[in-house]
Amino acid sequence: MNTALVVAAPRRSVSLRSIAGRIGLLPALLVLLVAGMSAIDAQFYGLINVLNILRNASLLAIVACGQALVIIAGGFDLSVGALVALASVVTAKTMAVTAAAFPGSNGLIIASGVAAGLGCGVVVGLVNGFCVARLKVSGFVVTLGTMSATTGVGLMITNGIPVYGMPEIFVKGFGRARALGLPTAAHVALIVILVMVFAQRRTLFGRYVYAIGGNVDAAVVSGVTIQRHIVGTYVVSSVLAALTGILLTAQVGSGQASFGGDRMMLQSIAAAVIGGVSLRGGVGRIEIVAVSALFLTILGNALNLLHVDSRLQPVFLGIIMVAAVALDELSRRSKPRV
Amino acid sequence: MSDLELTVAAKDTDRPKLTLGRRLWSAVLPVALAVLLLGFATVDHGVLSPANLLNIAQQTSYLALFAMAQTVVILTRGFDLALGPTVSMVSVGTALAMASATASGHGPAAVLLAGLAAGFALGIACGLFNGVVVALLGVNPFVATLGSYNIAIGIATTLSSGRPVQGVPAPFSQIFYSGSIFGVPAAIAITLAVGVGLHLLLARTVFGRSLYLIGTNPRAAAVAGLPVKRILVTTYVLCSGLAALGAIMMTARTGSGEPNLGGALSLQAIAGAVVGGTSLAGGRGGVGTAVLGALFITILSNGMNLTRIDGYVQMVVLGAIVIIGVLLDRLRQERSA
Repeated sequence: MNTALVVAAPRRSVSLRSIAGRIGLLPALLVLLVAGMSAIDAQFYGLINVLNILRNASLLAIVACGQALVIIAGGFDLSVGALVALASVVTAKTMAVTAAAFPGSNGLIIASGVAAGLGCGVVVGLVNGFCVARLKVSGFVVTLGTMSATTGVGLMITNGIPVYGMPEIFVKGFGRARALGLPTAAHVALIVILVMVFAQRRTLFGRYVYAIGGNVDAAVVSGVTIQRHIVGTYVVSSVLAALTGILLTAQVGSGQASFGGDRMMLQSIAAAVIGGVSLRGGVGRIEIVAVSALFLTILGNALNLLHVDSRLQPVFLGIIMVAAVALDELSRRSKPRV
Repeated sequence: MSDLELTVAAKDTDRPKLTLGRRLWSAVLPVALAVLLLGFATVDHGVLSPANLLNIAQQTSYLALFAMAQTVVILTRGFDLALGPTVSMVSVGTALAMASATASGHGPAAVLLAGLAAGFALGIACGLFNGVVVALLGVNPFVATLGSYNIAIGIATTLSSGRPVQGVPAPFSQIFYSGSIFGVPAAIAITLAVGVGLHLLLARTVFGRSLYLIGTNPRAAAVAGLPVKRILVTTYVLCSGLAALGAIMMTARTGSGEPNLGGALSLQAIAGAVVGGTSLAGGRGGVGTAVLGALFITILSNGMNLTRIDGYVQMVVLGAIVIIGVLLDRLRQERSA
């Protein structure tokens, strides 16, 4: 790179940033999409469709937040989709068993089910974190392994049959309920996002995650305890995936081993990446990832309303993903390298 | 992270001394394979029967081909998540081309050619897309191939309307599946030939050696004057081309174009390569590791099938094996360093 280029580059990148900076581009696209769809199809802003979008976006946003945290620390979590299924199955099964043992005591039944579901998340997260941080196996391979194992356990428990027997109040009073006009999943997602944003900005954990993802060696030299924080990111990601599984179970009314899956996993990575999280680690903000999850959900919804063949829809998702990252990469290239 | 990888990779290139310990470590997987086979054989004598051994060889030949394809890109620190959907897309495309060529009254040779041309064209197009996005646009291989993963799935299901495509002519299945060359079943013969060719390419040509250099130290490769971008594009095309060949072989086996043929193949192929000892950090691995890993996974699942281990338990075991395999490999690396 000659000097002229280095001098010229910052000015161009500033103008690029001001027009379509990473923070501005996605909300702008979102507004454009919403405005366009509202003009084309009145069904789009009907209450039923909006609630539908909010529910799905909330679930995706929760998983994507955890995924983003792991990626910011320089890792990968392929096991989230499988964990959604496992948590769903375990929650439903535990509730059914507890309900048989202590009929009528709804508080105990729900508490035990939710605890068991979240417990699955903690266990899988610890296994992932331990293998990555302590045994130093690549995050991709570890979570590929736990993905297969987790899916297997979920299917083993259910034999592929949906699990029923949850208390009515868990489904009708929580999963399908609305508070202040919003579905419960949206409230949970908002709380998760707020907590995660706070953790990212204001806590030592959040800052260390950036430090580890940005430059492991520098983080080590600065005295960051790498292993504990990497394990932390995987546990958070897994627990959030488990939470999504529980919310989905409450919504649908049964525990199913077919929830989540590869689709949820790939979408969570897509949401994180389109939301500006760099796969090189060290870069990314939770609130933009949440917006990106909303964007992806609305995009899918819009394609459905426009009667685009559901088989063709992955093509759009793929192209948008590659284009988003390619744009990001090209704008990075126009900046000087440090 | 990349700096860390760089230092780790650099350590690998120090020529290891062939101590007894290292020799033992490099024999871990073959020994484990033999133990595995014998272990299964004590439970079920059918495991070591000639018919089952031939069956294992035949099953391995598909996964080995895909693991080889994956190895080629993993050598350069990439991977191809789109391999499975590419297989589905090629399968559907090949079957559709042959069906329509038959319908328009062409002879068997023209029908075969049309199928092969369509299949390889789709495969190579997918590889070009991956290569251009990774090498020229600088997109992370994971995202690039995740993108083409979605695109290929969309194309495969749209072309086929989600249903199997009938009309694969008998000669096609004859050549790529049921036929044999000097008594060797077609699938095994093709994979053997490809394996030998790929090994020579990787070990003996400038192109092959440059893949290892790019994987070990991309900066050094660029400084040394290698056309890194062009080589990377070629690598992804080679990977998808091999995947297309595998897809054609699998289509000949099922006798129809299947939009779900690729399914979990992307990750299985990565698992095969990695269990065999290919390093995801790039620069280490080859045809041998791919074949060994594929053999290991095939024998494991074949044995578990014959000993009637529940399919769901098999998934758990396979997951654990992948992690343990990579862990062993890392320990092996540390010893040799």
